[in-house]
Amino acid sequence: MENEIVFSVLAVVAVVSAIVMISAHRPIDSALSFIVTLISVAALFGLVNATFLFVVQIIIYAGAILTLILFIIMFLNIKDENLPEEKYKNRWLLVTSILILPFSVILINLILGSDIAVNSVINENLGTIKDVGLTLFSQWILPFELVSILLLVALVGSVTLSKRKD
Amino acid sequence: MTNNILLNILLLAPLTSALLIFLLNISRRYTKQTLYTLLALSGSGLSAMIALYISYTSYFEQKLFVSNLFTWLNIGDFTIEVTLKADALSSFMLLFVAPVSFLIHIYATGYMDKDKSYGRFFTYFNLFIFFMFLLVLADNPIIMFVGWEGVGLISYLLIGFYFDDIQNTYAGNKAFIVNRVGDFGFLSALMLLFVEIGHGGFSYDAIFFNLSLIDTPMLSLIALLLFVGAMGKSAQLPLFVWLPDAMAGPTPVSALIHAATMVTAGIYMVARFAPLYNIASDVSLFIAYIGGLSALFAAIVATRQYDIKKILAYSTISQLGFMFMALGVGAYSTALFHMFTHAFFKGLLFMGAGAIIVAFGHKQDIRELRGIRRSVPTIFIMMLIGSLTISAIPPLSAFFSKDAIMGILYASDHLDLFFIALLSSLFTVFYMFRMIFVLFFSENTTEPSKNSVKSMNYPMAILTLLSVFAGMLNLPEIFGGNLMMSSWLDLADKHFVFSHANEIFLMSVNTILICFILYYAYKRYAYKDTILKESTTGLVANKFYIDALYQLIIVKPLYALSFFFDRKISHDLIDTSINSMALNYKKLGKLFAFFENGNVRFYALYMLIGLVLGFIYLFLLLKAML
Amino acid sequence: MLKAYMILSIILFSIGVIGLISRRNIIVIYMSIELLLNAVNLSLIAISGDIGNASGHVMSLMIIAIAASEAALFMSLFVVLFRKKGSLDANIFDILGNKDD
Repeated sequence: MENEIVFSVLAVVAVVSAIVMISAHRPIDSALSFIVTLISVAALFGLVNATFLFVVQIIIYAGAILTLILFIIMFLNIKDENLPEEKYKNRWLLVTSILILPFSVILINLILGSDIAVNSVINENLGTIKDVGLTLFSQWILPFELVSILLLVALVGSVTLSKRKD
Repeated sequence: MTNNILLNILLLAPLTSALLIFLLNISRRYTKQTLYTLLALSGSGLSAMIALYISYTSYFEQKLFVSNLFTWLNIGDFTIEVTLKADALSSFMLLFVAPVSFLIHIYATGYMDKDKSYGRFFTYFNLFIFFMFLLVLADNPIIMFVGWEGVGLISYLLIGFYFDDIQNTYAGNKAFIVNRVGDFGFLSALMLLFVEIGHGGFSYDAIFFNLSLIDTPMLSLIALLLFVGAMGKSAQLPLFVWLPDAMAGPTPVSALIHAATMVTAGIYMVARFAPLYNIASDVSLFIAYIGGLSALFAAIVATRQYDIKKILAYSTISQLGFMFMALGVGAYSTALFHMFTHAFFKGLLFMGAGAIIVAFGHKQDIRELRGIRRSVPTIFIMMLIGSLTISAIPPLSAFFSKDAIMGILYASDHLDLFFIALLSSLFTVFYMFRMIFVLFFSENTTEPSKNSVKSMNYPMAILTLLSVFAGMLNLPEIFGGNLMMSSWLDLADKHFVFSHANEIFLMSVNTILICFILYYAYKRYAYKDTILKESTTGLVANKFYIDALYQLIIVKPLYALSFFFDRKISHDLIDTSINSMALNYKKLGKLFAFFENGNVRFYALYMLIGLVLGFIYLFLLLKAML
Repeated sequence: MLKAYMILSIILFSIGVIGLISRRNIIVIYMSIELLLNAVNLSLIAISGDIGNASGHVMSLMIIAIAASEAALFMSLFVVLFRKKGSLDANIFDILGNKDD
C-alpha cells in the first residue's frame, strides 16, 4: 500500500516536472526540472529493488549528464536574445499532444486490457550489484565490450568536434 | 516490265542537271557562270532532242514508249506504279514543251547574265522541266499530281525569285494559295475516283475502262472537281488572280512557266480526261462558258493595262479561255493545237518583252517605253510577227488554230460562245496592237541602256519561225491539209458537220474584222499620246475590281479569322491555359515544398503522424481479429 | 504495479516525443531525447523485476552508457553550432531543404 502511495507521488512528480521541462522557455529551467524528473525516475527504480540502477541513474544522469548540460548552458553564456523566438510554442505543443494522443491511448488501453503477470517471480537478489554484475559479465559480455568501444568513439568524436577551428 | 531507256533519260536529264547545279551552287560560292550554263543547257538540250525523237517516232511509226520505273505504293490490291508512258497525247506535249523549254533556257542564259542567283535560277528551271515531264508522261493521275504539284512549287519559287522585294514573295504566296484551291479540287476528284473505281487499278486506261461503273451525278462531280484543278492551274475565272501577279518573276519564267507550259497543264489534264468529259456533258458546257468568260474578261482587262508583262499575262488567260471553250464543246485536239501554237507565239512575245525590259534597264511600263523601234529593230520585227500571230492574221499559225476553235464553236450550235470568242478575238487584236503601236510607233524615242544579247535573240528567231509555220501541222481540209495532228492525237473528239462555204465565210469575216480593228488601233495609238490620256479609274482599268473583291470577301475575313485564332484562341485560350497549368503545377510544387523544408523537426513530425496512423491501423486490425 | 509502471513509461515517452517535435531549442530537444531513453529504461526495469531476470537491468545500463556518450557528443555539437550560428534555434539548421525560393 505504501509502495502505491510512494509510486503515485513519484509518478506525479516525474510527469509534472517532465511537462515543465518541455514547456519552459529557458533551457536552464528545463534542465533543472529535468533533474527532478530523473531523480524521481531513479526513485521509481529503487521502488522495484533495482538498487544498482538507482545508483547509476543518480550518478550518471543527475550527476554527470545534467551537470554537463548546466555547465554547457553557462559556458555558452546564452542570453535571452540567443534563444529561439518560439512564437507558436504553445500551439505546437497542443498540436503534437493531440497527435500523440491516439498512440498513448491505444497503448495504455492495450496494457490495461492485457493479462501480464504481476510479481509472478520473487527474487530478493534481483537488482543488486552482484546480480547485475553476474548477468553483465556472463551473458552480456560482448555488448559490454562494444559499449566500451562506443564510449571511446564518442570521446574521440566530441574532442575532434570541439577542437575544430573554422 | 518494260523499261525504255530513252524515256528515262528524257525524264532524268533535267533532274540530274538540276541536282548538279544545286550541289555546285550550295558548295562553291564562286562557280564559273559558264559551268552552270553548260549543265543547264546540256540537261534541257538532251531532253529536247529525245523529246523530238519520241514525237517523231510516235507520229510516223505510232510507236508507244513505256517505261516502268518502280512500284511506289503497294497496299493490298491497290498498286501505284511509277510508269512513264509516251502515247500520242504525251508525245504531242513533249513536242512543244521540251524544245520551248530548251529555247527559253538559251534565252535565260542571256537574260540572267551576271545575276547573283544564276545557279539557283537554273536549279529551279531544270527542276521545272523534270516536273513538267513527269506531269506529261505520267501513266496515272497520282503521278501526274506529283508533277502537277511540282510545277506549282517551282512556279512559286520562281515568282518569288527576287525575294529581296517582299512584293515578289507576296505574289508567290498568292499564286501558291490560289493554286491550293485548284489542287484541292483535283485531289478531291482523285479521291472520289479512287473510292469509286480504285479497285480496278488507277492508270488512265483502267480508269477510262471502268468509267461506266460510276453513276452520272458522281461522274459530273468528279469532272467538275477536276476542272477546278485545271481552273487553278490554267488561271481561269475565278481563280485567275495569281497569273498577273506572277509576272513578278524573271521574264524567262513568265515565258516558260506562265505562258508556254505550266499554265497549259490544265488544258492537258482536261484533254487527258476526255472520255470522262465526253460523258459529263453538262460539266463540259460549264467549262466552255468559264473559258469564254475568262477569254472575254481577260481580253477586256488587257486593253487598259500598262505593264508590258501584265498585258501578256491577261492575254495568256484569254488564250487559255479560248482553249477551254474548245475543250468544253468537245474539240479536244483543236484546243491542243491552239495550245501548241500558243506556246510558240506567247513564248516569243514574252521573250521579246523580256528583251525590251533588259535593254531598257528594267522598265516595264509601256508609257515609259515609247518609240523604241529604231533602238531594237530585230525585237520589233519579232514582236510584230508575234502580235500578228496572236491576232490570227492568215497565214500565221494562230490563224489556223484560232479559226479552228471559232469554226468548231459555230458548228456546235453554241452561237453565244461563238460571239464571245469573236469578241475576245477582236479585243485581243486591239490590246496587242495598242501595245505594239505605243511601244514602237511614236515620235518620242527612248534610248536603250544596254545592247541586246545574242543568246536572247537566237531562240526568239527560232520561235518566230515556229510561230509562223507551226500552223502547217494541222492544216484543215479547205487548205489542202488533212488535220494530221488531230488524227495523230486520236482523242475522243466530237465531230461537227461544217460546210466549207461556211468556214471560208467565217474566216473572211473574221479576218476583215481583225484588219478593221488593227486599223482602229493604229489610228488611235500610233504617233499619238492617247495612251497617256487614258483614265486609270473605272471598271476596266481596275480589272473589274475582282482583286478588290477577293481582298474584301476572302482575304480580309481570313485575316480577321487568323487574327482571332492567333489572339483569342492561340494566345488567350491555349497559351494562357498552358501557362496557368504550369503556374498551378508550380504552386502545387510550392505547397509540397513547404513540407519538405529541410527542417528535421518537421520530418520528425511526419514520422510521428505516420507512426500514429500505423498504430491506429494496427489497433483496428487487432480489434477486428479479436 | 507493472501496469502502472508501463503506463507511466508511456506517458513519459509521449511527453518526450511532444517536446522533441514542438520545441525549437536544441538543448530542450536533447533533454527530450534523454527523457525518451528514461521512459524506456523505466519499463525495462519494471518488466525485469516482474519476470525476475537481470537482463533488463543490464540493458538499462547499456542505454545509460549510450546516453552518456550521446551527451558528450551533443555537448560538443552545441558548442560548435552555437559558435557558428550564434543561436540555439533548430529551425536555422535546415540545409537539407531547397533554398531556391
